[in-house]
Amino acid sequence: MVVQPSKPALSRVLLDWMLLVLGFGLLLWFIAIWWNQSEPASDAQKLLIWGGFLLAALGIARVANQFVNTTNPVIGFTPAALTLLVVVVTAEALLRAYQVPPGLIPTPSRVLSTFFAVRDVLLQDAFQTVVLEALVGYLIGCGLGVITALLVSRYVFLERGLLPYATVFSSIPIVALAPVLVKMVGIDWQSKAVIVAITVFFPVVVNTFRGLTEVSPLSLDLMRSYAASEVQQYRWLRLPNALPFIFNALKLGTTLAMIGAIVGEFFGANGQGLGFRIQIEAGRFGFDIVWSAIIVASLIGIAWYNLVAWLERRLTGWHVSFR
Amino acid sequence: MTRISPQLGPMLVVALIVLALYWPLMYLANIPAAQRALDTGAALPCKTAFECATQLRSPVLPSPQQLWNGFRNLMFPLNSPNAIPLNAAVTALETVVGLLLAALVGFFFAIGIVASRAFERSLLPWIVASQTIPVIAIAPMLVVLLGQYGVQGWIPKAIIAAYIAFFPIAIGVAKGLKSPDPLSLDLMKTYNANNWQTYLMLRFPASIPYLFTAFKVAMTAALIGAIVAEISTISFQGIGKMLAENSRASDVVAMWVIMLSSAVLGILLVALVNWTERLVTPWQRAKVAATPMPKQARVSKQEGG
Repeated sequence: MVVQPSKPALSRVLLDWMLLVLGFGLLLWFIAIWWNQSEPASDAQKLLIWGGFLLAALGIARVANQFVNTTNPVIGFTPAALTLLVVVVTAEALLRAYQVPPGLIPTPSRVLSTFFAVRDVLLQDAFQTVVLEALVGYLIGCGLGVITALLVSRYVFLERGLLPYATVFSSIPIVALAPVLVKMVGIDWQSKAVIVAITVFFPVVVNTFRGLTEVSPLSLDLMRSYAASEVQQYRWLRLPNALPFIFNALKLGTTLAMIGAIVGEFFGANGQGLGFRIQIEAGRFGFDIVWSAIIVASLIGIAWYNLVAWLERRLTGWHVSFR
Repeated sequence: MTRISPQLGPMLVVALIVLALYWPLMYLANIPAAQRALDTGAALPCKTAFECATQLRSPVLPSPQQLWNGFRNLMFPLNSPNAIPLNAAVTALETVVGLLLAALVGFFFAIGIVASRAFERSLLPWIVASQTIPVIAIAPMLVVLLGQYGVQGWIPKAIIAAYIAFFPIAIGVAKGLKSPDPLSLDLMKTYNANNWQTYLMLRFPASIPYLFTAFKVAMTAALIGAIVAEISTISFQGIGKMLAENSRASDVVAMWVIMLSSAVLGILLVALVNWTERLVTPWQRAKVAATPMPKQARVSKQEGG
């Protein structure tokens, strides 16, 4: 039963967009007149910027309501894109108004021009960090995690002997592990892959185990009365039940993998990688390159998270939380 | 206590197996390094590679004797600014304050996500994106910015810890707020409950188990955030400061000791969450006691036969 919201009147829609355009106009107008200035703006102008930001934010909040029911992912992304645009333009205007030195926070326009200047280097770094370190570690960690959870849920001895340790291990801060592992495995990409694998392993084990065992006793009784074998029990009851839990862990794992790989590089890298680049440039106050590297890392992180979320929707569309 | 005892035996067996494997592994990993050290002709107090394996300056795996000595050196005196207890306490303070901040922010975002599709559409992608931003990059900037307004010391680290920790809380609580059965939601509608009542009486209670699960993840995340913040900014106290110092000095044994103690710190902090959970939601414990998990969930033969 889907309640169709009544179409808002055309005048309301126009008013919402007008708010948005007005806010953007104020911000852009200020940036244009302050493009080559080098002294801080007056209080009235600063107030104007905040006003423009508030107008644009209000506009987005109202415009976004029109996109709530679109199924097309590209059109549905419009509000998020507008939010980003407002934040970026406001940041540009504020940084120019307060004349924050670029060694502290660079303006977005400066970051963008730097990004295009150094994109080849950053792409190489991203290949090293994401494909070699994060992805390899993620696949190994998640694979081993699911297998371990299957074994642990099957054998009581393992559940009693191993699972307490898995819970304990997942509360260990990984950054403390990183320097030791880098010293042990070496500074090449393998050490970071090991860090990532360990980082994602424990959440996957704990979540998958919960999914495999938190089965409704009624369903389990039904399986027994059908004389279902253990393999059938896993195939038709436990694994489907565990899928939402597994995907929760997989989604958290994507961000854990990115952070693990990047933090791992701080403790030793072979001259490549996003984390290495960030550390070197942050030490030289080259924050425009740091932010460019952050943009690359974030874009890849978002794409990765959405890929897993898309898989989740394909495979667990029947679950309560999607209804 | 009776609930833990069935685990104790298997846990001890596993621990013993791991410990028994540690010695051969340690020798296997260290002997090549020891041989190389001997080949260089350095003046070492030991003659054979086998003897040297337990006394290397930077071992691949430290021997238990080395770990014990390192532990004794770093643990005492208890109130020394270079010993672990004081630094661990500072880091713990940053972590807990960070977690509380994160809970506030996380709840705000979770309610926003569940209450308004427009909010979800405009902000959720960037909440996810905020997690892929390596904190280490924004930490120095944040510290300088806050320093201009007189905020110094441990507070910036708590804010950075909160920055990492709010994400699991927001996602977990949002999932929990969405978890009530559609039937229960329909029932609330039948009773003519308004939005506020639905949240107060149905959605918040339903989200509490999810909240504490999220807290456990978030506590570890906050600890990681606090340590990373200490590493990447100028700090005079904390586990992260010790880690950075010893990493620069290449003191491998000290790094192992710090790693193990921060592991203990993480375990203690998560235990704190568990303890709070038991205090706040006694009905959960009652439910567990009334219907023991193993019986309903295990693939067991004794019931089926």
